[in-house]
Amino acid sequence: MQLHYDAETEKFRAELRAWIEANQPTLEEMRAEPMTSSAHLTGWSRRWQRCLFDAGLLVPGWPPELGGRNLPPVQQLVYHEEMAKIRTPRTTNPQGLGIIAPSILDYGSDLLKEKYLLPTLRAEIAWCLGMSEPGAGSDLAALSTRAELHDDHFVVSGQKIWTSGAHHADHCFCFVRTDPDAPKHRGISVLILDMKAPGIRVRPLPELIDPHHVDFNEVFFDGVVVTRDHLVGELNQGWSISAGSLAHERGMMWLSAAARLDGMLAQLFQLARKPGPDGRRIGESATFRDAIASLYVDAQSMWFMGYQGFAKFARGNVSPEHSVLKLFGSEVAQRAARVATEFQGVDALDVDFLQGTRYDDSYPAPWMRQYLITYGATISAGASEIQRNIIAQRVLGLPRR
Amino acid sequence: MDFEITADQQQLVDSVRAVLERECPTALVRDVVENGSAPEQPWKSARELGWAAIDLPEEHGGLALGFAELGLVVEQHGRFVAPGPFLATVTGFLPLVLEAGSAAQRERFATPAGAGELTGALAIDHGRAAEHAPGEALRARRDGHAWILEGERRYVLDGDVADELAVAARVDAGDGVGLFVVPQGAAKAQRVVALDASRPLAHLRFDGVRVEPDRVLGPPGAGAHALGRALERATVAAALECVGACQRLMELTIDHARNRRQFDQPIGAFQAIQHKCADVYVQVQKARATAYFAMMALAEDDPRRSLATSMAKAAASDCQRLVCKEGIQIHGGMGYTWESDVQLFVKRAKTLEALFGTGGQHRQRIADLLEI
Repeated sequence: MQLHYDAETEKFRAELRAWIEANQPTLEEMRAEPMTSSAHLTGWSRRWQRCLFDAGLLVPGWPPELGGRNLPPVQQLVYHEEMAKIRTPRTTNPQGLGIIAPSILDYGSDLLKEKYLLPTLRAEIAWCLGMSEPGAGSDLAALSTRAELHDDHFVVSGQKIWTSGAHHADHCFCFVRTDPDAPKHRGISVLILDMKAPGIRVRPLPELIDPHHVDFNEVFFDGVVVTRDHLVGELNQGWSISAGSLAHERGMMWLSAAARLDGMLAQLFQLARKPGPDGRRIGESATFRDAIASLYVDAQSMWFMGYQGFAKFARGNVSPEHSVLKLFGSEVAQRAARVATEFQGVDALDVDFLQGTRYDDSYPAPWMRQYLITYGATISAGASEIQRNIIAQRVLGLPRR
Repeated sequence: MDFEITADQQQLVDSVRAVLERECPTALVRDVVENGSAPEQPWKSARELGWAAIDLPEEHGGLALGFAELGLVVEQHGRFVAPGPFLATVTGFLPLVLEAGSAAQRERFATPAGAGELTGALAIDHGRAAEHAPGEALRARRDGHAWILEGERRYVLDGDVADELAVAARVDAGDGVGLFVVPQGAAKAQRVVALDASRPLAHLRFDGVRVEPDRVLGPPGAGAHALGRALERATVAAALECVGACQRLMELTIDHARNRRQFDQPIGAFQAIQHKCADVYVQVQKARATAYFAMMALAEDDPRRSLATSMAKAAASDCQRLVCKEGIQIHGGMGYTWESDVQLFVKRAKTLEALFGTGGQHRQRIADLLEI
């Protein structure tokens, strides 16, 4: 047990910081072309991701030909710590880089790897992930979008929802039912769909904060033809791919959640210096001081729990921390934003948001907007209730009903 | 950065746990609580196996393993609601003597305490402990080369049973902190009817107690630094013992949820119970990770040690609140009885919450340290 890193790791951190400083996009570039969805590859984001790829700093645990440099786990941790701290995201298509690329690497045929893997890593193409459906949210295995196999091609019909970035994506990594007679987990497959294929219609689904802000979509498939060679993995193997895909997403996700929480705390410290509705400095209130200290403890403990999980992961052991961190981190963020709105009082009701976009950290969004946005994290990617079920059943061994 | 317990540390934890499992069953704790017995164990084991000397320098016969190793042993004591002088002597008395004492004083008090031949207590103001202040209720004034203690110290852990008491008092000089060691009997002790009778508390009345120079720790008026550092150790130790007690209460509760059947199924199959258990697990994970961070910060003398200490106590506070509540609730009627062991863990956890500053006091301290 130790709090510090060894000298070699700190040397790597220093070199990485210098490299980031020299290469990351400028604020002006980012402001000039704001990222508007999670599959929106902007000019600066394409250049930046390509630059990371060429430097072996895109997925540092992977080999050089895949945009990495075979870094040992501790240096990967330092890499993610540093990347989480900067304003620029590693990619503007996180599901493509974080979920779909590793899934193609693990399960895809040589053809699919050749056609899609490198272009994804080099930010030449963007992806959406076709998972949730109107009738299959928390119960993902209940999905009913059908893909019928006819000799050398599938015909896909059905509907997805909450499909992030579908209006910007070039391709969809789509979970479909290929055997309606099998038990629900055993009849699912994964297909790669071209979003420009005939029969696909995308309908935007703006979020509650802003009728003009679209990340989510509904996607309708009406007799979409997909060649059989665009099946990922084996037929009806989709459920294990989904488990594998999401595991990739979870590995280091806590780091960006912890960094975002740190960012919210920094904003709360600023709020403390401002006058509240009664004209007194908000930080003078003992109730506020108690609340902010409590949030600070929780935000810090995210790192400590994450490091504990990482220590197990680095030694090749399974750790249940991802469910704990996902549940805890998203609920703490929600509490942080709520506390801010309550201490702002009526000032929280002004949600004017003309400056920048929600992705640009240099313009903190009004707290009430941030508060509403936090529900995105307690509902998506396994709602808090599902995380509690997972902890109770898989970690604590309580019986399933 | 590595939060993983090393192989050596794990071996230590396993051996301490095996010994406490054998020598400190809850029946022994009950005998202390119900009959006021004063068992030799587990202090006898601590003495024989050198647990009291884990974080003691070698010049005093210690093992000099570090505070992380000591902290892990303290956590195990919480797991078994261990009674006896270990906590007060090793994590309260010893740190103050080591921080503030001269070489001769350390030899006189720390060496025998580390060997388990002397027991000690730390007489501080729990209400001001989070801010490292000595409080106003006990004052020391100079009398020639000696000092006179006047006032009281309330809720001193082991205050009427320890051989020697390390005392912090307010002085009208320098930084306002004077540190002393007085023998048992110098102050008038009044035993408190304490929530957790296996953690004896006493009010101590100092009616002009004279302290000769050889029992004055460092120059009075320059003791704040040492008091703060000693309090950090005592506080993190309390947080760790609390985490140990909470971990065990969580395990008992989950076992109960698995085994207790109602409506033809284990109650642990109900989502209402599962979600309570999941929340309890999250709080225990949070408290342990935060306490381990503080433990390492003290072991490495990291500049974040004060902040880390208060975070650990605040996180332990959150943890015990939920674990005690759901521990009793999920146990149902049995959790409400004297017979169930649940009450032993709840009372230990609530005691540790109150000692060395509550969660709320430490949150105010955190806000101070963050300059809110």
